[in-house]
Amino acid sequence: MQPDLDQPGSLARVLRELPAAGAPPYPFAEFQRRARERTRPSRSLAGGRWLAAAAVGALAVVALSLRLHPHASVREPPLGDTAPLARAASPAPHAEIMERWLASLPREPGVVHVGTHQAVTGLEDRIAQVDDLLSAAGTQRQPPPQFVALQQERTRLIGALVQVRYAETLADESR
Amino acid sequence: MTRLADTAVPEETLAQARAGDQAARAAIYAALAPATFALIRRMVGQRALAEDIFQDTMMMLYERLPQFRREAPLGAWLRQIAISRCLMYLRSPWRRARLCLEGVELHAAEDEACLVTPAYRGDSIDVERALASLGPTARAVVWMYEVEGYSHQEIAREFGRSVSFSKSQLARAHVRLRAWFAPQEDRPSCNLI
Repeated sequence: MQPDLDQPGSLARVLRELPAAGAPPYPFAEFQRRARERTRPSRSLAGGRWLAAAAVGALAVVALSLRLHPHASVREPPLGDTAPLARAASPAPHAEIMERWLASLPREPGVVHVGTHQAVTGLEDRIAQVDDLLSAAGTQRQPPPQFVALQQERTRLIGALVQVRYAETLADESR
Repeated sequence: MTRLADTAVPEETLAQARAGDQAARAAIYAALAPATFALIRRMVGQRALAEDIFQDTMMMLYERLPQFRREAPLGAWLRQIAISRCLMYLRSPWRRARLCLEGVELHAAEDEACLVTPAYRGDSIDVERALASLGPTARAVVWMYEVEGYSHQEIAREFGRSVSFSKSQLARAHVRLRAWFAPQEDRPSCNLI
């Protein structure tokens, strides 16, 4: 039988007749285990605050330099001159700081939020794709002109990842 | 079955739980967790998300237990925490970004996931499906207004939006639900309103 929703208050009545509770998602012991997991990593991250601040500072420098010189490093090198490519192949110091900070984090944050987790995995996937392209380009005798642009894209993605993980770290520590 | 807002816990259990007694905390969990989780699932849809928010909500309950003043049943207090956590998620920029990125696929998955009590049989299974066909925001507004007894002003305040936002969400949800239950051969698909 279908409910007649045209009657006043009928929707409320129909909805209130729905079962108020199903099964709990997991037992109390599992709840405690998850609660412990959420609180543990925030303590281990306490020492990484300075590194996090350095990474965010480096990110700000990258953003500023990209804003001031948007096309400075995307210029194609002259044919036959591979020196700029070689220089570009080694990551910039700020990128190294950011990667070192990311490596210092636990694989999973204290609190795993699905939305944030998807953003992180999405960025990590894209970084892996760029890494594939970079390593394919690196095996060629004459690296393609997009090499520098790929390096820049990788730095940009790492910067975005640092921002997300930093926000996660702050959320963890404010708990 | 008693609704979450009406669920009370004996004073002795509360006192023991405040003192950190794990057995008392387990008893509170057993009394309140099923209805809390059902409420959260009806508000946000996806099971994984609901588990995240449920975990947050229950942790917050135990952390704030010393502040509970017994002006209402413990369930009513917990309901307020759960709803506010759900709305934080619904309002979050992360969710909006996900909706932009993932589009319809995400909604379809949410619709599938929204049967809170899939084992339950009878007319209610249709109501569950109809409710699941609404978008998370509309579903939350409908649930808060029709079941939890929030006013449009309160819903608007909780969402940080205008009263007309709440009224229009509710009106559109009513249209959608009426269409769902209207006798017709081609039932509307599960698009969001």
